Amino acid sequence: MPPPSLAWRSDKLQGEIRLETLVKSFGDVNAVDGIDVHMPPGEFFTMVGPSGCGKTTTLRMIAGFERPTSGRILLDGEDVAQTPPHRRNVNTVFQSYALFPHLNVADNVAFGLKYKKVTKAERGKMVAEALSLVQLTGFEKRKPGQMSGGQQQRVALARALVLRPRVLLLDEPLGALDARLRKDLQVELKTLQESLGITFVFVTHDQEEALTMSDRLAVMNGGRVEQSGPPQEMYEEPATLFVADFLGVSNLVGAEATGRDGAACVLTVGDRKLLASQGDLGCRGAVKAMIRPERVRIEPQGSEGENRLPGLVEHLVFLGSFLEVRVRLLGGALVTALQANDGSETAYPQGSSVTVHLPAESLRVLPEVPTAVAEDDAASPAEDAAPAS
Amino acid sequence: MSPVIAWLRNPWGKARFLPLITLIYIIWSVVPVIIAILFAFNDGRSRTAWEGFSLRWFWTDQTLSVFHDDALQSALKHTLVLALISVLIATPLGVTLALGLQRWRGRGSGTVNVLMLLPLVTPEIVMGVALLLLFLQIFNQIGLGTTAQAIGQITFSLSYVVVMVRGRLVSIGPEYEEAAADLGAPPTQVLWRVLLPLLSPAILASAAVVFALSIDDFVVTQYLSGDASTTTVSMLLYASARGAPTPALNALATISLAITLGTLALVFIVYRRFAGGEDAAAVAGLEV
Repeated sequence: MPPPSLAWRSDKLQGEIRLETLVKSFGDVNAVDGIDVHMPPGEFFTMVGPSGCGKTTTLRMIAGFERPTSGRILLDGEDVAQTPPHRRNVNTVFQSYALFPHLNVADNVAFGLKYKKVTKAERGKMVAEALSLVQLTGFEKRKPGQMSGGQQQRVALARALVLRPRVLLLDEPLGALDARLRKDLQVELKTLQESLGITFVFVTHDQEEALTMSDRLAVMNGGRVEQSGPPQEMYEEPATLFVADFLGVSNLVGAEATGRDGAACVLTVGDRKLLASQGDLGCRGAVKAMIRPERVRIEPQGSEGENRLPGLVEHLVFLGSFLEVRVRLLGGALVTALQANDGSETAYPQGSSVTVHLPAESLRVLPEVPTAVAEDDAASPAEDAAPAS
Repeated sequence: MSPVIAWLRNPWGKARFLPLITLIYIIWSVVPVIIAILFAFNDGRSRTAWEGFSLRWFWTDQTLSVFHDDALQSALKHTLVLALISVLIATPLGVTLALGLQRWRGRGSGTVNVLMLLPLVTPEIVMGVALLLLFLQIFNQIGLGTTAQAIGQITFSLSYVVVMVRGRLVSIGPEYEEAAADLGAPPTQVLWRVLLPLLSPAILASAAVVFALSIDDFVVTQYLSGDASTTTVSMLLYASARGAPTPALNALATISLAITLGTLALVFIVYRRFAGGEDAAAVAGLEV
């Protein structure tokens, strides 16, 4: 994608969104249950979660299609929660694109310019620029029905971007495209966002998409934000069981946290002891020990040392660049390990006895239920501050 | 197995029986109409014995043709005037009601939705009697005549408009409206630039249905008619069918049939032009 002209770049860092104890209820159900989110200006922010987690409702509240039950939506410091959608300087790319079928591409893109203070001549120029930005020059006279899904997607982008919004909202915009096109568009969207410097708020249920595209992401579940932060941090240091399980693949082994050993937490799995130096080390009682498959080491049977458990290779899955080894531990838990196909690792055939090494520095302690403390931290100060609306 | 049974049992054979039944039905329903039309062009006074082709019952006959018989001509004019009034009032009113009902959520909306459908299932004779009493007892300053007839026709044809436009509203969904608002269009602009263009096929089709219903209607129009000047084609056909009819009546019926078919054809063509033919067939299929 060619770099857009300077006029398109927003140099002032604007498009900052803060959601403060935002609630949306439908009848008795709180679809969004008092969330606090900060979306820094000029960043690619992703809300990710399973269906029904409230991510789309949150996006629709930012766009203005849903009126919040309570709470504030600050756009560059100004509360827009009660502003109707046509007066908000944010634009949306819809999941189904919602291109007007009775208008051609140029008229679709020009639709919103009628409400901006631009002359007719400028309008034409802006439409042409927007279309070249999404590489659709020459498609002006086409009707949306005569275009492929990927092209419609680009028209929807051009139609929103031509208005130079401070924030662009994207509601699962890649959901309807096939896998290949999806990958291409992921890269394009990210490049576009970086060159325009506009805040993108992206909603998806695809955790991989969320990890690869975002500067920052929020994992939502049951109307609440489980955790938010940069993708790497979220992947490496999931704060809750849900995040650990939702982002990437995790081994979660049931364990009992019994005490402390220096900087590490002592876990008991069956009659074995493990040391874990990540996560909630102060936690006691029933916990989950979490480790990513790529951090699990498979060693020959009888290998000695701490954090080593005996097991049986139950299943091997060849993934091309990786070999997935599923090992059944003596205690009954299943641990998955990923071995890079780099020629160095010894292969263990199915059914062979091995030793599984779970390095203490990669082992995280996650409480079984989310701690009440963390929730209170997020909710109470804002509750005091927010006047009833 | 005999070849006949083998032929009958051949699962890959062409379908023959169902097309045959369809054909018989079409002949059964169309032939009487064609015969009636044919005798409109009869040279003699008979409506049963063919005496050669002529246009005398349309206009060449100086006293008895549709063109020269005042009663026939006035009936035709009155029918068209009523149809036009019905279309011009019922269509916009129905569209407004459909939009309103679509947005009305919560208490009472379910009841109103059912009430809206009531005129579709109420026997026309019941509605005719009820409207007659209404205009005689309560709205007696309006009285019987053209106004009452128009109000009566609008009353029952409104439901058709509402049902058809709402169907389209449901199928287009809220997303286009949201997109328009998102791009900065205030509510009135959303209506004019997005909603009405998207609804136009349904609006056009429902206008055609209202027109056809009005031309076809007999019961309500008859009950609410005043003097001879408010006689419509359907009333005239009914009144004189048992008297001493001439083929001029067939000519009149032919003209009203041609107008109805012409309207539908026009709608079909216009619709195809504007909607890019996306579901013109569906609109044609909606017809009465």
